[in-house]
Amino acid sequence: MAKIKLDIFRFDEATDTVPHRDEVTVDLPETTTVLDALEYAKAEVDGSISFRRSCRSAICGSCSMSIGGVTSLACKTSCGSAMEEDGSVKIDPMPNFQPMKDLVVHMDPFWDKYARLKPYLQPNDADSAHATERRVSPDDMKKLVDVANCIMCATCYSLCPVVSVDPAFAGPAAIAYAYRFIEDVRDGKRTDRLAQISEDYLWLCAHCYACSYCPKHVDPNDRIIDVKRATIKDRVMMNERGPRHALVVAKTIKQTGMLAETEVIQGTVGRFNIRGLLKVAPLGARMALKGKLPPPFLKPVPKVDEIRTIFDALEAPVR
Amino acid sequence: MSSTLLPEERALDAHVRTNSSKSKRYGFFPGCVAKESCKELFNSTMLLADKLGIELVELTAASCCGASVLNDTNRDVARVLNARTYAQAEALGLDDVITICSTCTGHMRAANKELRESEERMAHANAILGKFGANYKGTVTVRHLLWLLIDDIGLDALRSMVVRPLNGLKVAPFYGCHIIRPESVNGWESARHPHSLEDVIVALGGEAVDYAGKTRCCGFHVQLEKDGIASSMVGQNMRMAKDNGAEAVITPCPLCHLALDGYQADAAARWGRTDLPIFHLPQLVAYALGVPAEKLGLNKHLIDPREVMVSRDLIN
Repeated sequence: MAKIKLDIFRFDEATDTVPHRDEVTVDLPETTTVLDALEYAKAEVDGSISFRRSCRSAICGSCSMSIGGVTSLACKTSCGSAMEEDGSVKIDPMPNFQPMKDLVVHMDPFWDKYARLKPYLQPNDADSAHATERRVSPDDMKKLVDVANCIMCATCYSLCPVVSVDPAFAGPAAIAYAYRFIEDVRDGKRTDRLAQISEDYLWLCAHCYACSYCPKHVDPNDRIIDVKRATIKDRVMMNERGPRHALVVAKTIKQTGMLAETEVIQGTVGRFNIRGLLKVAPLGARMALKGKLPPPFLKPVPKVDEIRTIFDALEAPVR
Repeated sequence: MSSTLLPEERALDAHVRTNSSKSKRYGFFPGCVAKESCKELFNSTMLLADKLGIELVELTAASCCGASVLNDTNRDVARVLNARTYAQAEALGLDDVITICSTCTGHMRAANKELRESEERMAHANAILGKFGANYKGTVTVRHLLWLLIDDIGLDALRSMVVRPLNGLKVAPFYGCHIIRPESVNGWESARHPHSLEDVIVALGGEAVDYAGKTRCCGFHVQLEKDGIASSMVGQNMRMAKDNGAEAVITPCPLCHLALDGYQADAAARWGRTDLPIFHLPQLVAYALGVPAEKLGLNKHLIDPREVMVSRDLIN
């Protein structure tokens, strides 16, 4: 047994203007899950501590909260693993959400973004009472099972740095779930879905892999890349900056072996997009003053033919 | 601290002792940005290598690692391009490729993991490399200079090499996503609670500043996608660093450097002025080990680090 100090964020939107913290000490083994420790504290010490929970087995996705500064499922995290040097476990509501009461947050923005992607199968058939079974091969299904494991706990959404500065971004979970239908051979709305998710800022993903902390190994980071590749393959909304950027990067690497910074900026913003270029110009001017501008043209690396051979062998798209 | 991965799911080769580390002769992959807009990083790395007594053999015919963006266009091309780079290292008798960029580290390690874990993918890559007579056997380990400093040189040895301690300069570490995440690819240390940069800062005689932004994203990869997005991410993180007492920031990633150094001015309207100078990792280590400050390219930074160095009696 150990004395575990639960350092809990307390707030009630109905009565409080500012949050405060309560420390509740419980005498439990360090292997106790944070959820069990909270349940114990609520039952034995302070019945007013509020948190969501249901299954206690990492299946329902209710008990996600910030534990020791990182969002995790309380039922899947032991107190010992999240303990500070002074024996305390810091517990907060998920970031990127509005707190409602203690560890309970308003989940609406997260659900709204799910709803926008129409998270249900929309088959091609005109007749919805279809006569035959819709068969899916094991290989086609294999692509979907990982994403189908998503329990919508919003861990990824709460850790997403893009969501934290721009709430218009769909967020990792919604894009991963879009993938689940985009790659489903039974679905008939692939193009519409790709356009919708592009509009919801698919390309604003910052490649930071914060969503690789997924407790169910859905790893939305990899599915986001899959959806981007699908938009390029199907040529959906190709004039957005995201696909332009990816393809001009590919082009400069194929031409020179290097990512040519100057050409990438021009190619992404648009060589004739004067207003867009003017917006990047002040930073460019500041860099020029420091002798920091990347060279306008790059000399190809030695044996650049080999690099072009690789691109051609893989039929890798370039702009 | 907690990890979502089981121990066996973490990358296991990050701490490996390579032949290069025994001979102190390493393959060196500087990456694109250190050769283009952050030449000061390349130069200070070479000066640091001299001080450390190691030889960095530049892989001059190497291509870009793919910079995480190439994956958005094609599933295989970044992996095969990196296989070509590793084949060049093997041909030079080197089994260790050292990077000075977090993004290069993460994406080259990811490619190497994919190749080494699947005979099918290795054969696929070698079938293409065979068109120009190259072959990758799978013997290369990719590591960042930061890991080399700690595993091969050692913090105690580093401390003993310091001739100009940082006089308690309060330095905030900024890791850069791809040197820590995903743990299944990097795995050198906990992605949630890394401490390698802090350990180096302390070894150099500085004080490490803790703040929540140290493992967050600088926004570099989306700076062009939507106006104001990268500056918001930079402002948010630098605000946290400044509020926790930082006088300067250190980063092992030139992409983070470009974003943090370049966008603090734009972020000031929303996040308040922070004006934190950003050091490349090798600059600050090289300085403490005695490389003259004027050789480190500090005049190339948009936020001049020399003012804070003067205030701590590090330079005149």
